[in-house]
Formats: sequence, structure tokens, C-alpha cells
Amino acid sequence: MTAVTTYFSDVFKGLWTAMVGMSITLRYLFSKPVTEMYPDVKPKTPTRYRGIHVFEEEKCIGCYVCAKACPVDCIEIGVVRKGKEIKITKFDIDYQKCMFCDLCCEPCPAHCIHMGPEFEKASFTRRGTILQFATPKTLTEEEKKIEKIAKK
Amino acid sequence: MNELANFLPTVLSRSGLTVPSALIPVLAMFLCASIMAAFMGLSAAVLVWAERKLAGHFQCRLGPVYVGGKFGWLQSIADGIKLLLKEDIIPDQADRPLFRLAPYPVVIGVLLAFIAVPFSEKLMVTDFNIGVFFILAVLTVEVFGVILAGWASNNKWALLGAMRAAVQMVSYEIPMGLAILPVVVMAQSLSLKTIVAAQSGGALHWFVFQPPFFMAVSFLIFFIAGLASLKRAPFDLPEAESELTAGFHTEYSGMRFSFFFMAEYAGMLLVSAVASALYLGGWHGILPGQESVWWFLAKTGFLIFVMIWIRWTLPRLRIDQIVYVGWKVLTPFVLACVVGQSLWATLR
Repeated sequence: MTAVTTYFSDVFKGLWTAMVGMSITLRYLFSKPVTEMYPDVKPKTPTRYRGIHVFEEEKCIGCYVCAKACPVDCIEIGVVRKGKEIKITKFDIDYQKCMFCDLCCEPCPAHCIHMGPEFEKASFTRRGTILQFATPKTLTEEEKKIEKIAKK
Repeated sequence: MNELANFLPTVLSRSGLTVPSALIPVLAMFLCASIMAAFMGLSAAVLVWAERKLAGHFQCRLGPVYVGGKFGWLQSIADGIKLLLKEDIIPDQADRPLFRLAPYPVVIGVLLAFIAVPFSEKLMVTDFNIGVFFILAVLTVEVFGVILAGWASNNKWALLGAMRAAVQMVSYEIPMGLAILPVVVMAQSLSLKTIVAAQSGGALHWFVFQPPFFMAVSFLIFFIAGLASLKRAPFDLPEAESELTAGFHTEYSGMRFSFFFMAEYAGMLLVSAVASALYLGGWHGILPGQESVWWFLAKTGFLIFVMIWIRWTLPRLRIDQIVYVGWKVLTPFVLACVVGQSLWATLR
């Protein structure tokens, strides 16, 4: 190619490529925005999302398997056993430690702990990040004596 | 403006005010100036919002959505209030008087140019017999403000931005000035009113669509050079956020910064308005006989949209590429257009 044809083809290419780019951006102008209006509209989390745990207290048998499986020791369980009756007095998960690894849910023999879809549990205090899953119960003196609290 | 001066005494006498007749032209001038300044400020506010909104949608985002209920339409008002309340910082090592002076040439350049813009046959401040030339000349004042700002800031980024503005100005100003010549040859006048009046009679009489299309090419060149004169992408080298923080206005804050900002957006409006008056038939509609200021504003708005569109499409050019485009591409092409149009006009 001679210098003259290079020059004119360069000028043409410059204009042409600009127009190609502009056609692309025009297409984007009329496409649907991908913005999620997060605090106003909550996004749907995927089905297997590993968020804040969901705990089914009535199924729990107080076996501490989840607390043992936890690699960061964030689960604290309190159980009162009287014969066949099981009272879960405490089921705290410290979300400062929890890394949402799902290892507590896998070994549970009663399938009572799951990873849930929630994720908004930020707090201004350290205490606030420890979530208590067991329903609060008033214990008798006798029950207090046999309550076992397992950290691991 | 003269019509306003003729019209004012009746309005004043009806409202029961007595004004000495010698003061009436002064009053008319003052009114025109304030209307133009208000128009410039308001249009800048609207354009900033429009640009942010469009920029969002060009990138599949939403842009401002919260301020003012729907669409974030009060966003630029909120920004304006924020800028008004901000501290006006002058750096210790800066050249204080020059630093304070610098924003004014920039704003005044754009504001002055507005007085020659023909919004419609009646709605214009004044019809100079050298209207186009006046606008180009006055618009150049802006560059002095930019260079002054860059120099007075005593900041290497600001100075680099100002030097780039100077280099860029040398390369775009010549094609921009030459690009109006085919139109002037065609209309036989430099007055914008006469130029627009020569394009009456429907879209086919607009100068862009006139065979042999020398004016279409010069319209393109005028538009590209206009983009460069506004320091907008892809010619935003004097600002170049990613390299020079904010270029020449790095050290400015608060109101002084907003002057630069306002001047850029009002300049967009100005260049689009001049381009639509020169090439797109000004206040004349698509069909013959249609005449309205809304046609003018619609064409201007479309050109502004194209400017925003280009900005959010193309990456920034290098400084040597701008000089190349200015001197080796735009100038020869526009010279060919001028010669071609003159030959066409004489031989026809």
C-alpha cells in the first residue's frame, strides 16, 4: 500500500470503528440495566446459598456433632436431658468467627441445621453478631444442675 | 434586544413604574444578560443530570435515581448546593490573583458567545453581522482561562493539563474556523440569522444535505473540532482524570470548580446550537414552513445527545494523536471542502 491509500484507509477506519463502537453503546443504552436496587429491593439468593443458618429446634437431639465439626468453633450448645426429653437451652453461633463453610450442616444426624438465604446480620456490637437460635426457656433448679454446655 | 428595548416602556408604564428613557437600553441589556446567564446555568444543570443519566444507561446502570423522587431529576440542584457550601480552597503556593481570576474568562467566554445564538427568528439577543466569527473568537477566550488556571495552581498535573489544552487548541482551532467557511460561502453572510434564513424550506434545504456534500463533511469536522474545543472525550486530555487527577482544575474546589464545570456543559449547548444553526437549518423544521424555537432546541438536544454518546463510547486519544488528527486529517479535509465549495459556488 502506498502512503496515500494508507492515509485514506486510516481516516476511513477511524470513522468506521468509532461508528461500530457507537452502535454497540447505543444497543446497551436500550438494554435493561443490570442494577440491583439493593436496600430497597432485596436480591433473590440462589437456592444453595450459604447464608445465616436456619435451625430447627424441634428436630435437634443435642448431639454436639455440628459444634465438633465446626473448624472455627463458633457454635455453642446447651442441652438439658431428662430421660428421652431433650431441651435445647442454648444454640449460639458467633458470626464473627463463622466462615459459612457448611461443615456443621453435613454431619448433623437429625438434619436440623441448614444454611439459609439470609445475609443481612451486621451489627454495631460484638455481642450482636452472636445469634441465639434456641428459644429462650426458664429452667428449674434441677434442670440447671444437669444442663450441659458444650463449646466443643 | 432592540425589540425588547422598544417593548419595555409599555410594560413599565402598565406596571406603573417610571424609568428615565435613557435607562431603558441599559435595563434591556441587563435583562438580556440575566436571562442568558440564567439560561446557561439552568441548561448546565439539566445537562449534567442528562449526562449522568445517559452515562448510566450506556453502561447498563441506572444513573442517579434517588434525589427528587423519580429519575433523580434534582441531582444537579443538590450537587449545586453542595458545591456552593464547599470551602473555597486556594493552595498556599498558588498565584493567588491569577488563581482567583482564572474561572472568569472560561465562563465569560461561553456566556458572551450565547448572545449571538439565534434560537428563533425573533428570539435572539442580537444579530451581529459577523455572528459566527464572533462566537468562534469569544469561545477562544475559554482557553486563556484554562491555561491561567493550570499555571496559577502551581501543580504539575494542572500545568500538564494546561499545556495540553494549549497544544490541543492550536490543532483544533484552525479546522473549526475553516469549517464554517463553506457555509459562509453558501449563505454569503457571517450573520447567523441570515445563514439560518438561507436554509428555509424543509430538510432538503439544510446545508448538510446540500449537494455536493462539502458542507456535510465540514459539519462533521466542525463537530469533531467542537468536541475538542469543549475538552470532551475523546479529546479530554486537559482533564484526563485517570492521568492528571483533574487536569487544569485539580486545585479548584467549591464555586470556582463549578464555574469550570458549568462552562463545559454550557459550551456543549453552545457548540451544538451553533452547529445546528449553521448546518441543520436552525429554527426551520423538517417539512417546509415549519418554524419554531422548539425545532432549534430539538436539533441542539440531539447534537448534545451525540456528544454524550461519543463520550461514553470512545477512549481518550493520545496528545500526538490529537495533533495528528487536527493538522493532518481535519485541516486538509476542511481545506478541500472550502476550495470545493467555493468552486461549486462560482461555477454554478
